[in-house]
Amino acid sequence: MAENENKPVLQFAPFQSSVHEGFWRRLSSLKLDILGIDQAPISITGFYAPCSHAQVSNHLTLLAESLPPDANEQASLEVLSLGNRNRCPVPGTLYNTNTLESFHALDRQSLLKAEAKKIWEDIHSGKAEEDPAVLSRFLLISFADLKKWSFHYWFAFPALVLEPPATLTDLRPAAQCFSPEEAESVSAACNKWRNSSSTADVPFFLVTIASNLHASIRPLRDWETCQSDDQQILFGFYDPCNLPNNPGWPLRNILALTHARWNLKQVRFLCYREKQGFADMGSSLVGEALVSVPQGWNDPQCVPNVVGWERNKGRNVPRCISLAESMDPTRLAISAA
Amino acid sequence: DTVERITGPRTVSAFKEKGVLSISEFVIAGDNLVSKCPTWSWESGEPSKRKSYLPHDKQYLITRNVPCLRRAASVEEEYEAAGGELLLDNEDNDGWLATHGKPKETKYDEENLPTMETLEISKKKTIQSISSYFGGEEEEDIPDMAEYEESDNVIEADPATLQSTYLVAHEPDDDNILRTRTYDVSITYDKYYQTPRVWLTGYDESRMLLQPELVMEDVSQDHARKTVTIEDHPHLPGKHASVHPCRHGAVMKKIIDVLMSRGVEPEVDKYLFLFLKFVASVIPTIEYDYTMDFDLGSTSH
Repeated sequence: MAENENKPVLQFAPFQSSVHEGFWRRLSSLKLDILGIDQAPISITGFYAPCSHAQVSNHLTLLAESLPPDANEQASLEVLSLGNRNRCPVPGTLYNTNTLESFHALDRQSLLKAEAKKIWEDIHSGKAEEDPAVLSRFLLISFADLKKWSFHYWFAFPALVLEPPATLTDLRPAAQCFSPEEAESVSAACNKWRNSSSTADVPFFLVTIASNLHASIRPLRDWETCQSDDQQILFGFYDPCNLPNNPGWPLRNILALTHARWNLKQVRFLCYREKQGFADMGSSLVGEALVSVPQGWNDPQCVPNVVGWERNKGRNVPRCISLAESMDPTRLAISAA
Repeated sequence: DTVERITGPRTVSAFKEKGVLSISEFVIAGDNLVSKCPTWSWESGEPSKRKSYLPHDKQYLITRNVPCLRRAASVEEEYEAAGGELLLDNEDNDGWLATHGKPKETKYDEENLPTMETLEISKKKTIQSISSYFGGEEEEDIPDMAEYEESDNVIEADPATLQSTYLVAHEPDDDNILRTRTYDVSITYDKYYQTPRVWLTGYDESRMLLQPELVMEDVSQDHARKTVTIEDHPHLPGKHASVHPCRHGAVMKKIIDVLMSRGVEPEVDKYLFLFLKFVASVIPTIEYDYTMDFDLGSTSH
């Protein structure tokens, strides 16, 4: 199953999560002051940015601001740094349970399928082209143990599964794929996209290179209008991954989109990565994927299979963090005495 | 402009005389850092902790997910063992001068750094995850963990998922372990000392929060004993490690004096680049950006 004309299967490095203390603190006060025993799902916002240091991948990060603001903090909403290039917002859903038992009893596969369905619908409705961050929609389940100040949680980054999987015909550093003129023009166009507050946090885009080697970056929704022109088109995305031989997770759902919407069987893509905050064609990758799914895979009524529960050190188990040291009033009183 | 409106009339600059910054100068220097090194950004932090004397969207500066490949403590030991002099600090706290002009990476042998290739090679050997303070749920909390693992094999069956990224190569008898921690480095304005102040939030290999005490392993050992303390962050929740600012003004004054003796007129918007260069001697293995490929000031001759 892994072979398609003897080409290697395109393998994606999973997205990884990172949760800041401020998120758990705000969740605790929300739970105590507002939510009570209400277990309804909560809309949250994760943040990520393209990989910027060759040694480490970037993460989907949750901060205090990831949760809805307190009623008396509404005024600060405006501050939620729109256009912050280091904090591209991604929508997510939080299911916080009241007990550890109900946390473990959650039907994780159904929850994941429900999120995949949202992504699939956004692809078919065209919403994903207007607001591409929805392609990286994520899921978080948690149990906040406010007696012990410990938090059990599990992330999922839903990825629509291409069956059979996409294969790879080429994957190289962008600097090797492009001519020096093209590389320079693509870098300049990407830096312009990243420096404009209206596009800095838009993580999927089109890279077009005209026959005169001039590159420009355009929003995904311009795909149709780019067709008439005599130019190369690549699908670009902010790649959180730092690995030299694998694209990161966000490429999965954009490949699903290009097939579902435009029936593309051969897709060139740019894994956009930075060095010290600027476009880096040495670490960015350019690749070409072949997608050949059976008839009917594109049926809007029929959601493809989905994967994406985050592993914890290679195992399928949830994570747990204890903040008793910094949050437990009893312990704080003792350490202050 | 915004800065003027908020801070009122500009105070006389004590930048060259004392190595300190006024509030408006801090904002100017921060704007310049963000524009030259875009991995840094301004943030507003916790609304309840907002300082009225700073613009609400420019309360502090932060760069996230900064790699830290080695523990500063072990780098210093190796450097000393190799017969090198420790340049990091001395009684006057001006040891940074000895390293001036050298990128901080050159303080240790780059070839000893674990690279992707060494990771690839050692993958074939024992593979285990490095334990961390915070981790998965306790085994006793999940009696049915084995069941969990078996029942959830969808991702394992997915040939398009790269499997190995969570594993860390570990060789018990070899120190060549990839200990990639990451840091969020933030800079706040300390109104009392009138200088910037650096804060460190650490994460382990699996991006779980590090105890602040473990952050001390990534601080030059002289400073870990003397000037780095664990305190409440002025804009973020929780305790974080911080370089105490009591000597910052004096150190910055020395840096400015050295530059002026070389005929360079320091400019206040470059303050944070100089400051971050000095801070690099305190946290030598945390690889944040502070590149200075431009003039520090106007050269007078």
